[in-house]
Amino acid sequence: MSKQYLTAHTVDEAHPAEIFSLAPTPTSILSASGSSALRVHSTTDPSFPLQQTIPAAHKLGCHHVCTARGGLGTVAASVGFGGEIKVWTRNRAGNNDTAGEDEWRLDWELAPSSSKADGGGDVWAVALSADEGYLACTTSDGRIHVWDIAARERIQTYETGARGGGSFAMAVDLSRDGRLTASGHESGAVYVFNNDAGRMVYSLSGLAKPVRAVAFSPGCKRLAAAGNAGIIALYDMEHGEHVGNLTTPSTRPAWITSLDWNDTGEYLLSGSLDGKVKVWDVARGVCVATHSETESALWSVRWLPKTERALGPGMGKSEMFCAAGASRSLTFYREATGS
Amino acid sequence: MRVAATFAPFLSSVLCWVPSFIDSRQPHETAFNSGDVVQFPAASHRGAGALSQIEALLEAIVDAVHSGDELVIPYRSVRSPQNTSDAGLVSADRDGRSTDGVRFPGRTIQETWKFEALFRIIELSHAALLSGHVITKRNIYYQNPELFRSQSAVDNMVDNLAFTLGVGREDLNIVAAAKGLVSGPIDLILCDGSIHSCDTSTDTGVLLPSVASIRQINFRAARWLLVIEKEAKGFPDLTTRRFLCALHSIRPDLGISVLVDFDPDGVAIMRTYRYGSKRLGHEENVATPQLRWLGILSDDILLDVTSGDNESQEGSQSLPGQETSIQGSQNERPTKRARVTKANTPAESISPLSQRDRKKAVEVMREISAAGSMNGDEANQMRELQRMLMLNIKAEMQMVDNYGDITGWLDIKLTVQI
Repeated sequence: MSKQYLTAHTVDEAHPAEIFSLAPTPTSILSASGSSALRVHSTTDPSFPLQQTIPAAHKLGCHHVCTARGGLGTVAASVGFGGEIKVWTRNRAGNNDTAGEDEWRLDWELAPSSSKADGGGDVWAVALSADEGYLACTTSDGRIHVWDIAARERIQTYETGARGGGSFAMAVDLSRDGRLTASGHESGAVYVFNNDAGRMVYSLSGLAKPVRAVAFSPGCKRLAAAGNAGIIALYDMEHGEHVGNLTTPSTRPAWITSLDWNDTGEYLLSGSLDGKVKVWDVARGVCVATHSETESALWSVRWLPKTERALGPGMGKSEMFCAAGASRSLTFYREATGS
Repeated sequence: MRVAATFAPFLSSVLCWVPSFIDSRQPHETAFNSGDVVQFPAASHRGAGALSQIEALLEAIVDAVHSGDELVIPYRSVRSPQNTSDAGLVSADRDGRSTDGVRFPGRTIQETWKFEALFRIIELSHAALLSGHVITKRNIYYQNPELFRSQSAVDNMVDNLAFTLGVGREDLNIVAAAKGLVSGPIDLILCDGSIHSCDTSTDTGVLLPSVASIRQINFRAARWLLVIEKEAKGFPDLTTRRFLCALHSIRPDLGISVLVDFDPDGVAIMRTYRYGSKRLGHEENVATPQLRWLGILSDDILLDVTSGDNESQEGSQSLPGQETSIQGSQNERPTKRARVTKANTPAESISPLSQRDRKKAVEVMREISAAGSMNGDEANQMRELQRMLMLNIKAEMQMVDNYGDITGWLDIKLTVQI
């Protein structure tokens, strides 16, 4: 039994360079690309209009932008190729303020020298805690720094190797309950840290090839990890056990660049360099939908959070996701209704 | 650094030289073709100026000796770009040069030594200019290793002297030791009348002579030129860059392509051939902006890492026999070319970026960004570096060869150009 998804809309040439990262809020989606501007498109209108352009956000382009999974969508963080981190805020959506007050504004900037802290490796991936209070960012020498956004100070640094000798941490995620941090590394290693205890709790094996995405399930019971191995490894977070892989029969699956759980934790979304976006039924361990608009590489795939707000006409109530990458366009999919 | 430049008349002739430089111990190669003898442009008209400046300098010193004044050699440094930190705020002082003179007796022992060494270089340059011969930097060093202490000291002083006098290094009749190799059906006719035929297709090619010493080139049937960089340990040398620039000026119809590794140094090398280098920004006629970046590009790699199940089972990719098959493919073009677009990927040709690579990539991106307007070429370079960082991989050109035979891949790439 497969699920049916349809292309709801495509925003062509959403950026002048390829899109590396997506970050949804309940009402919009932020996108980051190889050009210097961040863009925000509305996700409550069937034409997904451009809501805001943040010019000159990152001079050399931006490789990661994130919002809190399951959060209010009032804080975002982005990392530029130059190594700078920027934290953006906006007023809580939906209180019928003037449009101007709904815009994203720069809240805090960490220059490359301070973002990497103690002269360590350059900053790469970022994640925000569900309460939008903490920022986790990885470095090229395998560390994970955690910052308190309100206090503007670094409260934790997790090391994954002898000082400065860790493997490049390519991916990071924070569990929605705020308890765990996970990192995925070039070496294929996946580490899980307990934030209360401030130490590593699990060192997970199983992928052996660079890990490009890690994601906690909404209930914080599972961790999914994927990358160059082309398969998705699932780990149980109670005991740190490898509980299964999601794969399709293929001798040489394409590198997976992005992972995202839907809000119920039933489905996982994956995007890969061959341009394919896949929806996986986690309980059954099977791929239930595969889509490919082009064959060009996908860098980011994200579910749009289910929202309480009334959506514009024609939006329906079905679950949606967005995929972006080398094609420079944003492609929105929605589940076919009536099935 | 290893660079190879290649000219070939017909695609088929490429095959002859390719295997040799893939495994070549020599820095450079070039193969050629075309049918006509073309007068090489007089290398520079500044040479006479350099001689009179050097003589004026020597006279001033002699005068100072007579009058008992302090001896001064005007001397300014081309500031090394090294100290540009990654703080992101730099790049402001593009024109970072410091002004000074070197005195005798100096204020320090260091300065006294510097004066002596510099004076010796000036003497040697003067003698070379008078006799019409060219002296290499290496040669200068071995004139008196104790005095000069290191080759790099000589290199720096020569470049700073040229910069101070507002001339090119070659105007002082000083060149770097030849590193480039030329291979292909062309003849270089030198000022002394000797003819260097470069179509020794099976061998390692001919060492590229200094541009000043070339009188004519017989292009015969050469239709294009390929510059190949191998084992980037340094930067494209001035002699090769001058040679390319001169070739383009006399035969603009001759397409010039460059093949470099897919890594930050490869991009930097390609950019140096195209735009010149920051450190030697005072040198003229050393950039060839028309150069086409043939590869390795991210698409060549993406094609490979994204290929689904269709072919290349794991087992077939890592056959060890790469080295040996090089020898076998020297003479005949292989009849099978089915897999050229997606050549095998020996595991060792793709590797993760080191931290140094990642820093270097950002450095090159800053340079591109600082250059101002993003035209298509620059946007393209940015994209390649961004993808490199995203993928976190680099690839050597063996990545596109077919067990040591790169001709299939070149056929496709160059056909697009011609």
